[in-house]
Amino acid sequence: MSTLNEVLTKNLHGLYYGNRILLPFKADILKAVIEKSIITDFSDFSEQAEYEIKDNRTEIYFYEYADLSEFITTYETIKLIVVEEGRDIFDIKNHIKLILHLNDGHEIKIEEAGENFLFIE
Amino acid sequence: MRKILPVVLLAFLLFGMTNQVNASDFVNPAALSAEIVNSDAEHSLPPVFMVIPFVTLLLLIAVMPLFAHHFWEKHYPKFSIALGTITVLYYLLVMNDTHSLLHTLAEYLSFIALLASLFVASGGILIKVDKKATPMLNVIFLLFGAVIANIIGTTGASMLLIRPFIKINQDRIKPYHIIFFIFLISNIGGALTPIGDPPLFLGFLRGVDFFWVFEHVWYMWLPTIIVVAAVFYFIDSRNNDGQEKSKEYTGQIEFKGYKNVVYLLIILISVFIDPNVISWVPNLYPLPFGIREIIMFSVVYLSYKTADKEILSSNEFDFEPIKEVAYLFIGIFATMIPALQLIAYEANLLGDKLNPGIFYWATGLLSGFLDNAPTYLNFLSAAMGKYGWDVNNAVDVHNFEIEHAVYLQAISVAAVFFGAMTYIGNGPNFMVKSISERAGIKMPSFFAYLIKYSIPILIPIFILVWLAFYYGRV
Repeated sequence: MSTLNEVLTKNLHGLYYGNRILLPFKADILKAVIEKSIITDFSDFSEQAEYEIKDNRTEIYFYEYADLSEFITTYETIKLIVVEEGRDIFDIKNHIKLILHLNDGHEIKIEEAGENFLFIE
Repeated sequence: MRKILPVVLLAFLLFGMTNQVNASDFVNPAALSAEIVNSDAEHSLPPVFMVIPFVTLLLLIAVMPLFAHHFWEKHYPKFSIALGTITVLYYLLVMNDTHSLLHTLAEYLSFIALLASLFVASGGILIKVDKKATPMLNVIFLLFGAVIANIIGTTGASMLLIRPFIKINQDRIKPYHIIFFIFLISNIGGALTPIGDPPLFLGFLRGVDFFWVFEHVWYMWLPTIIVVAAVFYFIDSRNNDGQEKSKEYTGQIEFKGYKNVVYLLIILISVFIDPNVISWVPNLYPLPFGIREIIMFSVVYLSYKTADKEILSSNEFDFEPIKEVAYLFIGIFATMIPALQLIAYEANLLGDKLNPGIFYWATGLLSGFLDNAPTYLNFLSAAMGKYGWDVNNAVDVHNFEIEHAVYLQAISVAAVFFGAMTYIGNGPNFMVKSISERAGIKMPSFFAYLIKYSIPILIPIFILVWLAFYYGRV
């Protein structure tokens, strides 16, 4: 398993299959923006999305999208605000904004949202 | 391609039987409504129940995102196309009125060509303002946007400035920031020139002098802009979010994508490439578009293909916002034909009893819910009809702007100002909302926008405008 920092510095990629995203680090998801949907409800009752922290990864399921690749176009991204497992979720400095690019071959490029990205917490 | 097929089909339906229409119908693709008024003589009025598809579409746009958000996100194109098709089929099969449909299609193509070209060209421009957000900086930004909306249009200014505005305020942004952006830059700001907002451009094509609007509207525009900006300043001063951040700011403004500025200039110049403005511009009869629309659609393709990929990526460029406008507005344009014709008929009947104040409110309130361009032309036609003048005659329009300036002023101001009342009042409103939502900002619903923002903030200001300039005027 990699830390979030390792993922970002070593450019490790995630995966996606249909509506499922696999991220190679363990983190809580605070907010996700996918197209115009702003998702903050990740409870068991959520109709929009749910995530699970597994032994060596975090998985997110976006229920409203049968196949993410059909909706996320060339320059579009999925945006996440995450807190790495073990970090204090209440310290806002630990809230990391991530940008996920869906590439060919089910690969997800993960990068931290830079100054250029419009992403409001 | 599969996704835009319904729009193309409805467009073909609107196109109908072109060979039944005179060449003169296509002289000006952008001008529709006054001729609809005239065509009433040739075609009987639609029954009142034909307004139902339009009202249904408005209600769906207002209600569905609240109660069936995801269902609506997925299926809104079908509803818009289906409701539009009802109206189109009624006009084709029952009323045998292809005239109104063709003009509506011409106006829709003109509308979407301008919006799409400005949207794509500005998507390849990146403006970074590295300054600390303060209420005063925001006011200056909004006022700057309101001024340049008169040079590059409310759509161009909105598309160019919404992203930097969000970025400046990213540590403290709230929905009201976006709403005031819509008020000032996407609507009210563009009231000073025919380039500013589509209804004024239609007036210009009909014969209103280019600088007439500035001369007769600036003294209403200025106090309105100042009051709206002052309300924004008051609200923004109470927002203390982001104060704890100790980020260093360079104060620099970075601009990337000069190539696309050239495309913006091409779009702005092409606005004037119209047979009514330049005599040698060819008329493309029987096509429901002109050289202008061809240039604009070419800019859509070229500016996207040649744009800097890094800038597109930074702007997260996506066609979805313009696709949403294209789908919803083809339904709105089609279904509002009967509503506009009935309003025009009533306005002509009541013309003698209507004073400038009534024209102000009627044009304004309808512009908030209908497209403001045809609303402007219908009420201009009714106002000119009071004096036996014809909106299709440039000399009449010129005389009208001199002898009855107050009517033209009331209609012009109301058509532009009241476009800010709802998300559907003006094309850029929807696109600004869509871009903001993609940035993670939860925007108010259709009703929340009306109840929390436009009614309490704009209506009192518009009442003041009415009291100051039209109350008691005959």
